[in-house]
Formats: sequence, structure tokens, C-alpha cells
Amino acid sequence: MTSEATSIISVRDLQSFYGRRQVLFDISFDVPPHCIFVIMGVSGSGKTTLFRHLIGLKPTRKNAVFIKGEDISEWKSSDWQKYWQSIGVLFQSGALFNSMTLKENVALPLQVHTELTSDIIDVMVEMKLYMVGLSGFSDYMPAQLSGGMKKRAGLARALAMDPELLFVDEPSSGLDPITAAGLDDLLISLKDAFGMTVIVVTHELESAFKIGDYMLVMDKGRILACGTPESVKNSKESRVRQFLERRAEEAGQDMEAYLQRLCSVRSR
Amino acid sequence: MNTSGNFVVKLGGWGLSKILGLGRMGMFLIYAINGLWKPPGKLISTIKHIYFIGHRSLFVICFTGAFSGMVLGLQGYYTLSKFGSEGLLGAAVSLSLIRELGPVLTALMVTGRAGSAICAEIGIMRIEEQIDALKCMAIDPHSYLISPRFIAGIICFPLLTSIFDVIGIYGGYAIGVLLLGANPGAYWDGIYKSVGWDDVYMGYIKALVFAVLTIWISTYKGFYAGVDSGSMGAEDVSKATTDAVVISSVSILVADYVITSILL
Repeated sequence: MTSEATSIISVRDLQSFYGRRQVLFDISFDVPPHCIFVIMGVSGSGKTTLFRHLIGLKPTRKNAVFIKGEDISEWKSSDWQKYWQSIGVLFQSGALFNSMTLKENVALPLQVHTELTSDIIDVMVEMKLYMVGLSGFSDYMPAQLSGGMKKRAGLARALAMDPELLFVDEPSSGLDPITAAGLDDLLISLKDAFGMTVIVVTHELESAFKIGDYMLVMDKGRILACGTPESVKNSKESRVRQFLERRAEEAGQDMEAYLQRLCSVRSR
Repeated sequence: MNTSGNFVVKLGGWGLSKILGLGRMGMFLIYAINGLWKPPGKLISTIKHIYFIGHRSLFVICFTGAFSGMVLGLQGYYTLSKFGSEGLLGAAVSLSLIRELGPVLTALMVTGRAGSAICAEIGIMRIEEQIDALKCMAIDPHSYLISPRFIAGIICFPLLTSIFDVIGIYGGYAIGVLLLGANPGAYWDGIYKSVGWDDVYMGYIKALVFAVLTIWISTYKGFYAGVDSGSMGAEDVSKATTDAVVISSVSILVADYVITSILL
């Protein structure tokens, strides 16, 4: 796909644990710049854990994750501050601050990290809200917004500092098809217009194939397929086929075996 | 491994987790103190928290202060009158309030009213990923969320304690003097002659220590709500809130004894 030297993010043999339970097993991939990279998988496949490693919310061992060629395990506090100022993160729930209006939510990173006057910050906030289709809602509180609007507001806040890397966790989960399609179009236009690199975690197939330039399919903490949407679509791996074809687990056979075992125990 | 071996392993694991928890709690306090000097500015946020912790606790503090003073007036009058020492009522009421009851009851009331709310608010921010969002915006959550509450607590607790003491002394006056007929001049003279600056300082030192304990425990419990269990649900916030109130209340009583034994 791309080499470690040219990629913006490189992951090498990443392992992750919750206590003694291993949740990621030897994950390796590269994210080229200026693309939409989609991380897919069923619930519990480890995509959110991987996401948390990439945004620095979960510590990483040596030589496992490289951002622009730098090993993030060796970063000092100041390096992390620089990195976090250069990325935008949209969390699954939007993660808006409930005690602040939309305008205050979006303005927060600008107020903290820039010397801009409040007039300029107001203009920038209006611009970001316009980009996500929320102009006119700047004085609303998060509680007054629908789920889709909260996500778009979260995206406006993630874009406040004009990040070069945008991380998006489940952008279309829980949204109606029209709002979800709108968010997908927005992510594509962000990549095209501003050259952003966007990393999206999702399990929505339609959305993933619509926006993704590259894809990673995970299951039980392991990579099943990685590459272009075409190569993932043509994968012969049975779990990938099952995921892409939306086939349910074969629970019937398991249940039958279980019932047989139960009967044999009772007859003894 | 045999049963006793398993028990020892579990006991060791439990002990280690408690020691790690204490270490994390200590680091949390250090980060919060360190956060006082970090951006963003804390003036507006601190004023909001002073309003929440201080102003909105005023009614409950006045109410409990008045009734504590009235009970002290009632009990004190009947006890002292057995020895013909009603003249000492003012001294008994004021010293009890200023040295002990004022700081302790104020802290317990504020813990129940504001400490639980602070813990629940921060706990909800944790489970709704707002704390993670702050970190990913390169904003130190300790500095942004915890430090202003510490400043507000340190300002509010001594002030609320003072109000509690004053209202309590007037409550004692209302019962002891106006209702039961103790001499008003003796009541005020007793306060004037018996209460020294040492007593007032002791009350304020206690109020400051209780402020740090209450805010520290409440914010810590909220900040790590659900982190250890990994579930991050409403149940974790409810458990954290209960823990915050119980641990804060017990710590206040233990700290009260320790400070009194040191300062006496």
C-alpha cells in the first residue's frame, strides 16, 4: 500500500491489553497522507482500542506506532501537546460539553491555543458551524440538539484548529440515512478541499465503501484484510466475506450441539 | 495452587491495587495543583464554582448553623444551670461551634450537597468521553476541570464555616437568652473573654483541610468513574458518587481528630 517512510501513520506489531486480557494481536499497517482510511470490524473487534492508541489515549509500547516517522512511545509531554493540537477527534457521542453553548464548545480550543481576539474567534466558529451545516445554532445548548446535530457539532469542534489529521469514531452510527450520507459527503469534501488525512472507525459497510480510499478489516483483535476497497471486496477470507455479506453467526449449529450435550448429561 | 495459596495471591493483589490507587490519588492531587498555573485562565470558571459550592450552599449552611446553635444553647443551658454557671453559656456555644462543630458540620453539609454533585458531573464527563475530548484538544483536564474547583473550595469552605459559626452563635443566643432567660450581657461577655485567635485559626485550618479533602476525593472519584471496571456506565457514576460522599465524610471526621490532637 505505502511504505513506512511515506506514510503519515505506521503501526508495527501493535499489541494491546486490558489487564491480562489481550485485545490486539500484532497489528501492522500504514496510513498514506491525504486519504480516508477506514477501520472496520464487528463490535468487540478492537477497532476502538486501536483508535485510542492512535490518538494517544492508550499508552503504546516501543516501536509500535509511528506518527510521521516518530515513535510515539518516546514522545515527551510537549510532543503530545503538539500532536494533539495538530489533530481533530470526533468521538462517537460527539463529547460536547453540556454546560456550554455550541459556539463556546467550538471556540474552546481556539481560546486556549491561539492569541486570536474574540471577534476573530467568533467568525472562525461561525465558519466551522457553517461547514457542518449548523449555522444559526451557535447559541443552542447540546441538550437542545438531535444526535446527528451533536455529531456535526463535535466535528465542527474537531475542525476548529484546522487539523491535518482527523480521527472520527463511528460517524454514522445511530443516524438516519440522510444525515449519515451528509456526514460522509462532508468527510470526503474535507479530504478533497483541505488535503486532510481522515481516519474513520465504523461498522457501516455502505458508508465505509463510499468514503474509504483504504480499508482495514478487523476481527477479534487481528487484521483480516487491509488495502483498497476493491482488494477488500475481493478478499477470500471467510470472516471478511461473512462481514461484507452481512451473514449472521451460525448460532443454530452451536445451539443444537449444546442441546445434545445437555440431553446426554440429563440422561446419565 | 491450594486454597490458602489462592487466598494469599488474592490478598496480595487486593493490597497492591489499593497501594496503586493511593499513588494515583496522590498524583491526581499533584496534577491538580500543578494545573493551577497552566492555561486556560481560571477566573470565570472559578467564579462559577464559587457560586455553585458557596452561594448555593448558603441556605443549608444557615439552616443547619441556626439549629446546631439552638441545640447547643438548649443543652448548654440545662447542663450549666445544674451548676449555676449559666453565665458560661456564650463561651460554651461559641467555642464548640468555632473549634469543632462549625468546620465539621459545614464540611459534611457541603460534601453532601456540592461534593456529590461535583463527583457526578465529572463522572458523567468521563463516561461521555468529554475528558478524553479535552485531552485530545491538548487541554489538560486536571487544569481545566479540577484546579478551579480546588480554588473555589479553598475560598468557600472557610467563608461558609464563618457564616455557620455566626448564625450558630445567634441561634444559641435565641434559645439560651431569649427563650430560657440567660443573661444577655454574660452571653456576649463569655464569648468575648473565652474565644481567642487560636480558636479561630484552628477552625480555619480545619475548614481548609476539609476543603482540600472534600474536593480532592469528590473530583478524583468522578474523574476515574468506571475507568478500573472498564464498563463506563451510569452505575459507575452512581457508585463513584456514593463512594465520594462516604469517603469524604469519614476522612473529615478522621482529619478533625488528627488536627485537634496536633493543635491542642
